[in-house]
Amino acid sequence: MILGEAWNLPREVSEVKGKDPGTYLAFNTHMVTFYQQTYGELSRFFLALRAGRLIGSHCPKCQQVMVPAATWHCPTCDFVEMQEIELPHRGVLAATAPITIFPSASFIGDAPFARGYVDVATDAPIASFLPSRLRTTTGLPRPGIFVKGVELKLVFEDERIGSIRDIFWVPMSEVPAKLRDKKPLLSSQLDFAKPRAPAVERTQAAEKDLGEALAAMRGLAGKIGESPRAQKDLSGRTHTIGVKTGGGNFTLRVASSAIRVAEGLPKKADFLMVAKDPAVFTRWVADGSLTDAAVEGKLWLPHKEAFGVLPILDRLPRSVRRDVR
Amino acid sequence: MNRVAIVGAGITDCRGRWVEATYWDLFQQATRRTLEDAKCTAGEIDSVVYGIYNDIFEHQAIPESALTGIIGMSCKPGTRVTSGGATGFYAMRTAIMEVASGVSDLVLCIGGEKATDCFDPQSRTATPMVIDTIAKSWDPFFEYPLGATASDSYAQMCMGYDDKYPGDIGDVTVRARVIEMLCRQGNKNPFGQRRDEKVTVAQVLASRWIIAPFLRLLEACMYTEGAAGVLFASEKKAREISERTGVPPIWVKGIGAANESYQAGRGGAYKPLWSIVSDRVAAERAYAMAGVKPSDIQLVELHDAFIAQFMITMGEMGFVPLGQTRRLVDDGIMADIREIGDTRRPQKGQILINPSGGLIFGGHFVGGSNMFSMWSARREMLKRQMPLALIHGTGAINAVFGGAIVVELEDGGAR
Repeated sequence: MILGEAWNLPREVSEVKGKDPGTYLAFNTHMVTFYQQTYGELSRFFLALRAGRLIGSHCPKCQQVMVPAATWHCPTCDFVEMQEIELPHRGVLAATAPITIFPSASFIGDAPFARGYVDVATDAPIASFLPSRLRTTTGLPRPGIFVKGVELKLVFEDERIGSIRDIFWVPMSEVPAKLRDKKPLLSSQLDFAKPRAPAVERTQAAEKDLGEALAAMRGLAGKIGESPRAQKDLSGRTHTIGVKTGGGNFTLRVASSAIRVAEGLPKKADFLMVAKDPAVFTRWVADGSLTDAAVEGKLWLPHKEAFGVLPILDRLPRSVRRDVR
Repeated sequence: MNRVAIVGAGITDCRGRWVEATYWDLFQQATRRTLEDAKCTAGEIDSVVYGIYNDIFEHQAIPESALTGIIGMSCKPGTRVTSGGATGFYAMRTAIMEVASGVSDLVLCIGGEKATDCFDPQSRTATPMVIDTIAKSWDPFFEYPLGATASDSYAQMCMGYDDKYPGDIGDVTVRARVIEMLCRQGNKNPFGQRRDEKVTVAQVLASRWIIAPFLRLLEACMYTEGAAGVLFASEKKAREISERTGVPPIWVKGIGAANESYQAGRGGAYKPLWSIVSDRVAAERAYAMAGVKPSDIQLVELHDAFIAQFMITMGEMGFVPLGQTRRLVDDGIMADIREIGDTRRPQKGQILINPSGGLIFGGHFVGGSNMFSMWSARREMLKRQMPLALIHGTGAINAVFGGAIVVELEDGGAR
């Protein structure tokens, strides 16, 4: 279904306090329409995607290539008819790509995700860029991966419906050599489910920092018992998180509205986090943010589900500060 | 083209949410204040131009139809303008053209927004739905399905610029210093949304990321509910109103606009990812028409969607070299409100930028934000006797819409 149950509201009129401070009324309603929207002239492009091909429109006069084929008549050559051109399944990122962390209502749950512009028709003197999803097999998208000029490989979803989401791009360096020329390369031929955690070098300075981080986290854990807000933050949640750092490893357990910190990795973790610098966790306890650390690339995470746990953890120092003096 | 003057302006209080008023009342408040400012009656107005960004926020198709009678414009011509973030600019351009052509002597240009009535049932807050509504500015075929927000598109421009000019807008400390200065200016705006806030460099650096590495929470513009009006008059009518009010007219000297291609690309007519060409072309056209150079202008009200873009736009409009926009802060080009106070002009070589607090601290009610900027520029010109000002607007995905207006105080102020 296009709209799920979560997109609805009870039919009601509620009271709202004004600044003046009178009482005002607010009514729940909606402004929605549904579409059976035709792709029209764009259908050729999407039919090609369904067939595992990437096409553009090519102008015989100015030689420009438009991808996606947004029109079949060249806007700069008196609308001369453009011809279909088969495009390669490799390209380069035209500019460093933003990573969306706080998405719009329609994409809640998908973040963080990267989206950028891919230069596909690199041999053409003039070319549009293909707006594209960007994915990595190395965990969550983070700064340093989707940078200007990085070579990319086009990947097709196994099940394609005729949508721009039928395709995405991954860094060519993450594609096994034997698959780099494959057309079409399918999503199932790459491993996104089990990204390999990055190795971290152990240093004495980081060991000292880990000691401080563990002490800070244990201090926080001790105060959660006195903080109703923090207990509410953790209510109903159970996580076992392994954490690798440059100073050593530890386990963060969330259960029974409390957290526990233990040295060493657990036998079985829900997921693993990696931070070269253990001070990331000291800063977290001091009202910092693990989410920001992940966004900045200082905290490695395997998947968006792990990312979804961070805002809960980020609330804890603030909740404790408000409840425990 | 006939001469066109600004003879009055008025705005509402800028708020994150106005539960006490619908957009009908906000537009009426702004109309009333604009007319009071010019000592005019609604009956004197020849026609009205509405700046209303989208129907979804106002929750009514043809929202201007409901406003006509309420703001006293019954049986007058009314044109609604909608051009994304640049709606206010394009509404003013339409009003200016109407006077310049001789069709009307007195035109009310009124714009506003009621954005945060939108509500997201999933998060039980307004913001994700407001973002989603604005994200519908992307096409439904290629871009919207990828999940990008309007902020992402402006961030993309900043990232493209940073690829070409590393070390300029990428220094978050410089951006935070601009924020701190804008905050101090916003504190002086009696209608500003964040007039009571104190934001420091340290707070900016500690605020959460919206889009790394160019947008922390405290670097972003707001969603505002509010409205603003500007009254444009022919020379004859301007003299008459100026006589009444004792306030000199502000003349429209030059206006420029440019909309870039929606499609990003390399060469030809495509939108480059490293440059806001629309801002540059619009400003150059406004300068040429006005017969001025950027160095003649010491007052700018700039459409700051967020700070990195604020810096790029100052570069594109010729106030600092591209790639060296951090000189706004490093070289003290951005005037410090603590030094010039409420009535003095900036020092030679300095520019007073966004004394209203801009869209980050003052207010951003999309359909009228650029009228808000015009209101502020006029206020500062009169207070400080500044001869020239530039008002800028930007909008649409990837900042492809740009507009600039150069205005001049009667007799060039006290220069």
